[in-house]
Amino acid sequence: MTTAVPAQSRRAWTPGQIVLTLLATAVSAVFLAPLAWGLFTSLKSETEAVAVPAHWLPKRWTGQAWKALLDTGNITDWFINSLVVSVCVTSVVLLVSALAGYGFARTEFRGKGVLMGLVMSGLMVSPAVLGVPLFTTVQQLGMVDTYWGMILPQCAPAAMVYILYKFFQGIPRELEEAAFIDGAGRWRVFFTIVVPLSRPSLAAVGIFTFIASWNNFLWPYMVTNNPDLMTMPNGIATVMNSYGIQWAQLMAGGLMAGLPLIVVFVFFQRQIVAGVAHTGLAGQ
Amino acid sequence: MAGSFAFAALGSGADALASTARTRVRYWNLFSGGDGYNMIAMLDAFRGAHPDIAVKDSTLQWGNPFYTKLAMAAAGNRAPDLGVMHIGRVAGFAPGRLLDPWDVGLLAEYGLRESDYSPALWRRGVIGDRLYALPLDVHVQLCFYRKDVLRKAGLLGGDDRIVPVTSVDDWFGVLKEAKKATAKGLQTIGLWINDQNFQWWFFVAFYTQLGGTWFSDDKTEVTFDTDRAVQVLEFLRRHVTEGYADPAMGSVNAEQFVNGAPFAWEGNWSVPVYSGAKLDYGAIPLPPVFGRPATHAESHAFVLPHQADRGGATDEAAHRLAAYVVTHARQWAAGGHIPAHRPTLSTPAYRALTPQNEYVSAMDHQANEPKVWFAGSTGVLAQRIGPIVVSSTVGSAKPGAAARRMRSELGTLLAMRNPMDGETAARAGRAA
Amino acid sequence: MTTAETVLAPARTEPATARAVFRGGQRFQHGGWFVAPFLTLFAVFVIWPLVRGVHLSLTDANITGTGERFIGLDNYREALRDPLMWDALGHSAYFTLLAVPCITVLAFLLAMLAHHVERGQWLWRLCFFMPFLLPSTVAGNLWQWLFNPGTGMVNHVFGLQTPWLTDASYAMPAIVIETLWWTVGFSFLLYLAALQSIPAHLYEAAKLDGAGAWQRTVHITLPMLRTITGLVVALQILASLQVFDQAVVMMDFGPGPENSTRTFVQYTLEEGFTSYRVGYASAISVIFFVIIAAVALARMWLLRNRTEEAAR
Repeated sequence: MTTAVPAQSRRAWTPGQIVLTLLATAVSAVFLAPLAWGLFTSLKSETEAVAVPAHWLPKRWTGQAWKALLDTGNITDWFINSLVVSVCVTSVVLLVSALAGYGFARTEFRGKGVLMGLVMSGLMVSPAVLGVPLFTTVQQLGMVDTYWGMILPQCAPAAMVYILYKFFQGIPRELEEAAFIDGAGRWRVFFTIVVPLSRPSLAAVGIFTFIASWNNFLWPYMVTNNPDLMTMPNGIATVMNSYGIQWAQLMAGGLMAGLPLIVVFVFFQRQIVAGVAHTGLAGQ
Repeated sequence: MAGSFAFAALGSGADALASTARTRVRYWNLFSGGDGYNMIAMLDAFRGAHPDIAVKDSTLQWGNPFYTKLAMAAAGNRAPDLGVMHIGRVAGFAPGRLLDPWDVGLLAEYGLRESDYSPALWRRGVIGDRLYALPLDVHVQLCFYRKDVLRKAGLLGGDDRIVPVTSVDDWFGVLKEAKKATAKGLQTIGLWINDQNFQWWFFVAFYTQLGGTWFSDDKTEVTFDTDRAVQVLEFLRRHVTEGYADPAMGSVNAEQFVNGAPFAWEGNWSVPVYSGAKLDYGAIPLPPVFGRPATHAESHAFVLPHQADRGGATDEAAHRLAAYVVTHARQWAAGGHIPAHRPTLSTPAYRALTPQNEYVSAMDHQANEPKVWFAGSTGVLAQRIGPIVVSSTVGSAKPGAAARRMRSELGTLLAMRNPMDGETAARAGRAA
Repeated sequence: MTTAETVLAPARTEPATARAVFRGGQRFQHGGWFVAPFLTLFAVFVIWPLVRGVHLSLTDANITGTGERFIGLDNYREALRDPLMWDALGHSAYFTLLAVPCITVLAFLLAMLAHHVERGQWLWRLCFFMPFLLPSTVAGNLWQWLFNPGTGMVNHVFGLQTPWLTDASYAMPAIVIETLWWTVGFSFLLYLAALQSIPAHLYEAAKLDGAGAWQRTVHITLPMLRTITGLVVALQILASLQVFDQAVVMMDFGPGPENSTRTFVQYTLEEGFTSYRVGYASAISVIFFVIIAAVALARMWLLRNRTEEAAR
């Protein structure tokens, strides 16, 4: 095992590197195997999928499950719903938490300390913890089975405010002060100086929020049961699951729900890794 | 298309869609998949026959969220004009407060009469002396069998149907023969031994075959008979101890059956699944091993969610729609359900349906849950008692102990108040 | 997450200097406008449900939202004697106990592996992290299928006949295995980022002192990862106690074999939406909130003690 290797020998296949690379390949195979099994299942006929003994590759390859999925189900509706909800949630979260983070970090107003404490206590509240009262609240607002009902409760993440608050605190005051001396107002300083400076942090928050919202199940599950309004994770888990033993279709649907983020990940790996690590690390 | 609909719904859900000058009926149902397809076909036929009535149907996902939403809408006076429920849940749904009664005269005007129903089924929809639930179908637990396997085992009669079974010994004799003809890696029978709902339904069926009762008529006492219960529990357990039901395969009955396991006990909703897989199979009601035939039955039923100003053209249209769907339920039978409308059952078209024509008798031999607020499909009763049945069937509790636990749990439930109206089962019975 | 005190400390001292720099108070009035949109959402969807939950917990409210009566602490009295609630709490705790150590150790090992392999780091990162990008329900469905006793991959590959999802002793471990596969990528990335931020000169200095790879790991890497480990463990404990999605999906929305996987979140939803007992469901939600808050506060307390120790 080696740690810091001199730059010139980076490409050398030392015995240690060979062992480590083989190990990494094996572990990766373990991680990918479930997905491969699911993919192969989706390419079998429903009858072959449940045939014993189990086998990896389809004896007869067929796109029948994928075709049936697109022809009959609501899956395209769910896809659009997921997109609408995730995009709305991400936009609103970015806007309100950037404003709030900046407000808490760099402006003064009465009761700021108390309010910040309140927001911090909000870190402990989630639909999992207080689902029933949150549901009755949304019910009182008449938002059950609506987009608003799915979107708005996801738009008050104290954690994101906290992350941006920490970041804004780190921006040198001198940058803002120069603009103030030139006569710019708070809002102009925020949008023309602070926002451009914080692009990486905002991207991190945006990416994290989008992943969380796209994959969110519990809240959409509680607040919608009109299949036309469901998001992908919810529709697959509740509606598709109730059709009986259509494993090939279920696997195809699952892959369809998972693929967009996986493709995005392949292309924007660096940013996403930085984003997840950044938002995660900022939690300390 | 989907997008534009979605944005229309952004406001306040599908209800916000603009109404027209025609009479508009808002109808909530819980049918997706094949049932959803059949229901939509029936609605389209109705629309064709009654162009003056606009039907706005919303399909909601089956299960507890559906009841939640219907209850909330009724309480908030935003209820749809017509809804669907499982009939077993009606007693717990505060009939009179969250549900409005049917106008039986109006239904008759639209061609649907009490005499079209089996009397027992009609009575299930009556609370007090008013009809609150109008049954659309009966759906039952069935014994599915593979004809190809049973033929090899010599268990098919001359009519190409399974030989008659009338006792516990008969039944295990059949299983013994069937097991010999079963391919390797497959169990002989799938009976969902780990599933609290199925185990509960099977228990209700056989307990009813033994003539068991649950509560006194005034719902003040538990009359549950632990001796009969033990008989049923031992019967269920024996499938596992004698190696016919494989505990490892508890959750994959359908897969095993498709692969060639000779028997599967399932709801009739599996009919489209097995027919779709082009299996050579048949289906009878759960075998009358304790003498008297009875199999667990629930019903989808139309209900009128409470509206403060119910009446007028909309209400009439709701009656007309419900009556139409009930009397034109041939299509509905494709989903495996037995139409509640008896004249439909004797039509040649229905008689030609297989395997539906093989289990239609289940209509007259229903094993129902008691008519109390905590009963019904996926209700509190099944949730509390189901796991006890499971614990006995899988062998982690002795049948005797399980039966006693069931009895004490029933007592607890009887003392519990219905959260909907704060009444116990006994008080609700007196009021009605 | 941090203590309110550390957040508030700078705020208290700020006005004087800030005012001096920016001349005149009127600019600061805008501060309220910056936070207003967020606080509105926060008040409606976080604070109000919290307040309303406490209120409902003192009533016999049902799901219809009408006709509730004040019944004092009856719900709490019932909850403390409710065996199903204690069972559900036990299941969530059991899950946490199994999942957190597994995830933390595996995430660390994977990060060490990815960090030390020189070639194809993007590929390893992709493979280990990819499952995390799947929706919880998709991952749950997938593993329900993999654990399928007759036709699933797990029994097929290992030549087993294990009834993973239908036997009370295997069901929770099966959910933990699924969770491990699905979520370890997140903690893995945190560890990887932390590993990469350890200054290389520390290792070089140790090397010059003749420390071997093992000694460098024990004496440099592990101590440098203490903070991140605390974070990973804390995040995992809080997330694991709230486990719901994968458990219900893998158990077809049921409570698992012999009720062995009904988690606390699941029980609150069942009481609220199956039994319609919104008042009671709110009471047990409040109990749950107190437990979660206690864990979060305990972590802050530990963190502060450690910081003070370091400062000394």
